[in-house]
Amino acid sequence: MVEPLLDIKDLDVRFSTSEGETRAIRGINLSLNPREVLGIVGESGSGKSVTALAVMGLLAKNANVTGSIHMGDRELLGMKDRQLSSIRGLKIGMIFQDPLTSLNPVYSVGWQVEEAISAHQDLSKEKRRAEAIRLLELVGIPRADDRVDDYPHEFSGGMRQRVVIAIAMANNPQIILADEPTTALDVTVQAQVLEALQVAIDQSHASLVLITHDLGVVAGLASRVVVMYAGRIVEIGTADAIFYSPAMPYTHGLLGSIPRVDDDGGARLRQIPGSPPSMIGTQPGCPFAPRCPLRKDICLTEEPALRSVSSTTGTEAHQAACHFASDVVTMPLASMFPDTSDDHEEPPQ
Amino acid sequence: MTSEAPVAIETTTPLLSVKDLVVHFKKRSHRFLKSYENTVHAVCGTSFDIHPGETLGLVGESGCGKTTTGRAVLQLIRPTSGSVTFAGQELTGLNREELRGTRQTMQVVFQDPFGSLDPRMPVGEAIAEPLRIHGQWTKSEGHQRVGEMMNLVGLEPRFANRFPNEFSGGQRQRVGIARALILSPRLLVLDEPVSALDVSIQAGVVNLLEDLQARLGVAYLFIAHDLSVIRHVSDRVAVMYLGRIVEIADQGSIYRRPSHPYTQALLSAVPIPDPHKERSRRRIVLKGDLPSPVDPPSGCRFRTRCWKAQAICESETPELLELEDGHRVACHFPEVIEVV
Repeated sequence: MVEPLLDIKDLDVRFSTSEGETRAIRGINLSLNPREVLGIVGESGSGKSVTALAVMGLLAKNANVTGSIHMGDRELLGMKDRQLSSIRGLKIGMIFQDPLTSLNPVYSVGWQVEEAISAHQDLSKEKRRAEAIRLLELVGIPRADDRVDDYPHEFSGGMRQRVVIAIAMANNPQIILADEPTTALDVTVQAQVLEALQVAIDQSHASLVLITHDLGVVAGLASRVVVMYAGRIVEIGTADAIFYSPAMPYTHGLLGSIPRVDDDGGARLRQIPGSPPSMIGTQPGCPFAPRCPLRKDICLTEEPALRSVSSTTGTEAHQAACHFASDVVTMPLASMFPDTSDDHEEPPQ
Repeated sequence: MTSEAPVAIETTTPLLSVKDLVVHFKKRSHRFLKSYENTVHAVCGTSFDIHPGETLGLVGESGCGKTTTGRAVLQLIRPTSGSVTFAGQELTGLNREELRGTRQTMQVVFQDPFGSLDPRMPVGEAIAEPLRIHGQWTKSEGHQRVGEMMNLVGLEPRFANRFPNEFSGGQRQRVGIARALILSPRLLVLDEPVSALDVSIQAGVVNLLEDLQARLGVAYLFIAHDLSVIRHVSDRVAVMYLGRIVEIADQGSIYRRPSHPYTQALLSAVPIPDPHKERSRRRIVLKGDLPSPVDPPSGCRFRTRCWKAQAICESETPELLELEDGHRVACHFPEVIEVV
């Protein structure tokens, strides 16, 4: 077994809010292997971003974090900011959704790439500048030696995101965390940025954690996929296992609910009735049970653990959190969900 | 819609006919204490028809002019030139009062289900508001009509006196659809109606829109950036780039036989949630950025990023010409390439 780069154990994140305690992450176990692309998918509020922020130690002050996050033999949870500085940017690079807010508007892009380099490497001024230009060229910024002194507002959204990628890979990190890196971008720009991201991981040999709600983006890049729902991992497996033989009804529902550009539009979309549960307080049972067409009594009382799906073969573990995972995995895709819009819904409150 | 039994689309008179629509915005910019006036060429001579009961998908990336086109159709933005004919009536010269009658039959649903509802107005009131504005509210039937509309869009009528903040995004979008439909319009302009919603919620709203069309026969101008959603809902599709329609055809024809280089690049860039297919397909990655609509390229506007560009593309604007039956393309060198 390869030593994992990052090992998350029993991660639990709660936020105290005026309305009560919000449980954003409820016990996550996850390890990241060297040189892999791990896709994390889920809808708004499923806890994907909070997981990334917890790894980087960037959670808000009202967060109560328990569990452990190991990188090699170092425990990242509870580390002081000064100690974390030796990890952030050097071992782990981070790419956020909005490139305009992650770049500083008053400094040139070259200055910002150089700043990332000088934080961890001792290079002469000339070498630093040359390195910044090289990185900008790598991520596909045309005429990088001219544009290195330009400011973020002089770049388009896609170009800015490439600058952010250049900064993330500046110190050859072991891990790049990308949180919805292309969500704010148009589809042709997304293709350009994904290409730059591929260059970044090829060049730095980093593992990529790709957090997105777009299953298509994950299908193209990820070798392993994590599906999150209501603060938990509900399914994990190889991209093939998740896309071709999902074992959790929620994954089935997600795959059936997205229209595909290669599908002639004849078939109706499958709907997942209802909406995700409130994260305030705890309800017993499986969090997906109220929306699940296969719900049985046990689902309402007992929360299923993340267990190996027995019927799958292969070396890499395919796990799902469903009492009936071994049945679900054999079902045709999405057939369990309705395709009618006549579901009179109650307001969530 | 495509998923329903084929609805006979009348080829006779279009419900909506847009001809040579031009929308320019004046933009003032300041530099070194001097003030300059620039013109943003948002929409530059687009023409299309929508027939009763059909869905025309209008697709393109940010800044291509799709939203401006939708608003100009509704006369929310007055076109600089060109004509918009709805049910035989020319709308461009009409004043507010004269437009009021037309607006009953032409309604709109906006993208943001949070911003488009008044937070202090119960949803039942929001749905009833169009009736009141158009003088159709009666004490005896009003509440019943609202209840019917709520039922129609999948909301419980007994929640009519609740406020928008008590509803989820998908439910608010249903409220927006209910209030747009209460006057029984013949055309609904849907401006990114599902792009703010999570995928599992999006499917429900898309299915609802399909059902409503089958039931009510209302035509849709469906504006979106998501090519997968557009394929799913549209009978015909128009692709816009920098203020112009570059290709327009039946849904099947445009997705299976795209002939404009931009359409091909756009389609090839849409990720497909199927690992084997996604990793083996051909992807056309465009070079460079979208040019500014303040100073668009001469001739073909796509030429600065096109791999086929020749001298003629710079000097001559390609016209939107029919390539095959009902499939029109604005390119000097059209050629079918399969990309999805």
